[in-house]
Amino acid sequence: MNPTLYPRPLSRREFAGQVARGALLAGAALVAGPAALAAQSGQNNPFAYDLSRLSQTDSKLVRYEETGRFRCPHAEPRRVAVGPGDALFVAAGNYVTALGAGGASGLEIALSGPARCVAVAKDGTIYAGLRDHVEVFDAKGQRRAAWETPGGKPWFTGLAVGENDVFAADAGNRVLFRFDRSGKLVRRLGEKNKERGVPGFIVPSPYLDVELGPDGLLHVNNPGRHRVEAYTFDGDFEGGWGKPTAAIDGFCGCCNPIGLAVLPEGRIVTCEKGLPRVKVYGAQGEFDSVVAGTDAFPENAKVGAGETRGDSTLAGLDAAADSQGRIYILDFVTGDIRVMKRKA
Amino acid sequence: MNPSPRSEAVTRRQFFRNGARLAAVTGLGTLAGVLTGHSQAKTTVWQIDPAKCLRCDRCATHCVLEQSAVKCVHAHALCGYCQLCTGYFNPEPNDLTTAAENQLCPTAAIQRTFVEDPYYEYNIDEKLCIGCAKCVEGCNRFGNGSLFLQVRHDRCVNCNECSIAIGCPGDAFRRVPVDQPYLLKTTHAH
Repeated sequence: MNPTLYPRPLSRREFAGQVARGALLAGAALVAGPAALAAQSGQNNPFAYDLSRLSQTDSKLVRYEETGRFRCPHAEPRRVAVGPGDALFVAAGNYVTALGAGGASGLEIALSGPARCVAVAKDGTIYAGLRDHVEVFDAKGQRRAAWETPGGKPWFTGLAVGENDVFAADAGNRVLFRFDRSGKLVRRLGEKNKERGVPGFIVPSPYLDVELGPDGLLHVNNPGRHRVEAYTFDGDFEGGWGKPTAAIDGFCGCCNPIGLAVLPEGRIVTCEKGLPRVKVYGAQGEFDSVVAGTDAFPENAKVGAGETRGDSTLAGLDAAADSQGRIYILDFVTGDIRVMKRKA
Repeated sequence: MNPSPRSEAVTRRQFFRNGARLAAVTGLGTLAGVLTGHSQAKTTVWQIDPAKCLRCDRCATHCVLEQSAVKCVHAHALCGYCQLCTGYFNPEPNDLTTAAENQLCPTAAIQRTFVEDPYYEYNIDEKLCIGCAKCVEGCNRFGNGSLFLQVRHDRCVNCNECSIAIGCPGDAFRRVPVDQPYLLKTTHAH
């Protein structure tokens, strides 16, 4: 008789152990099955949409290094700004929070709704952009005013403040509002005007940003045209730069860049979604360097690609620059704020 | 002690009668099952749930038809009419023109038409579309997800077991009522 045909009987413990193992394996297969199948399919897919090469950044182009990282104090971060004394302000959830060195929370201002953007004047006055209006607070966080809602379908996503003016980027109305510091509307900028040669903003997703440069011009992203454009305070179009491509020196996807920052000497920092990356361009648009490439934001890239349950339209980045030339990158997905310094 | 019912002997005639009854009931059950199945096949059709679609290549390769019954469709209400449509252009196009080398679609099944600066309209030529989902991935990856796949019922033969459904890694195929045969996107996918 062949003994292998008649194995010894299982004990109750062995039986229970094998059933448990089987259940575990079945559960794992159930959870990982579709993803694994899809991945396997992707490997052999002759029609694959392949961005693997573009997701890797040439290390020679990366001229910044991370010197610190801390967590945003609230969920749903949207914008980051630098105030007097290089204090960092972040708009996240229903709050604007000032962060000290190392990310310690300082002043915290509760808003009447989700914060979309923030800017801080030299005198410490804080301007917080909500979806349809701007709220004003003094340096101690006391509410001073809530400005009137402009008409149309406002969706404020960017703010900049000068000596006498506040500029609000409205992605919903595709316009830049120039207010005086008391909240009186002075002018609408950036609307399409053939006679003045203004091309108009194309904003497929709600990311319109504005920054004030040391050259005295307003720098605004025009995401649908894949450009950064410059305007005077009176709305004259001074020019624009940028090219549509997923290559490292251009702006990828349907609509990028989504966020801007200006370095002290006037170079422009751009943030992109889809292929999340932060880059530096000269004031005239010549590509300078990469601050952080797509491979530095794996979680953000996954959400942006629709590979998770997260809202891929919210997988973006924002940046701000301080007087020392340090760049703060806000990751909307992880809630991390990275401090980047140019390599020596 | 009561005699057990089992102890009663079954006559040959009773045995055959019971057997005939059992066969008749089994036959009726089978007939009812087949009829129900046929009826269901006539009242439901296969469709892809866009929210579950993983944009793999199987709709192009697994259909029993020579050219897949799955086609890309376009929800124009969701489309951004982008100049750089990532469903239309290669990730690194030489230029934003309709030249073949710039196009993502392997069969050039997407037609690009200028509307006004800087907007373009994109339409699918279903005769050319093979349902490979390359454009769908590009659109979902960077855009609003207005391009998505659907089973087109002017050519689907409504197999009892859809061979694409069997191989679908996202379990995105399901049967839908024949009078509502499409699962169209009306809001952003994400």
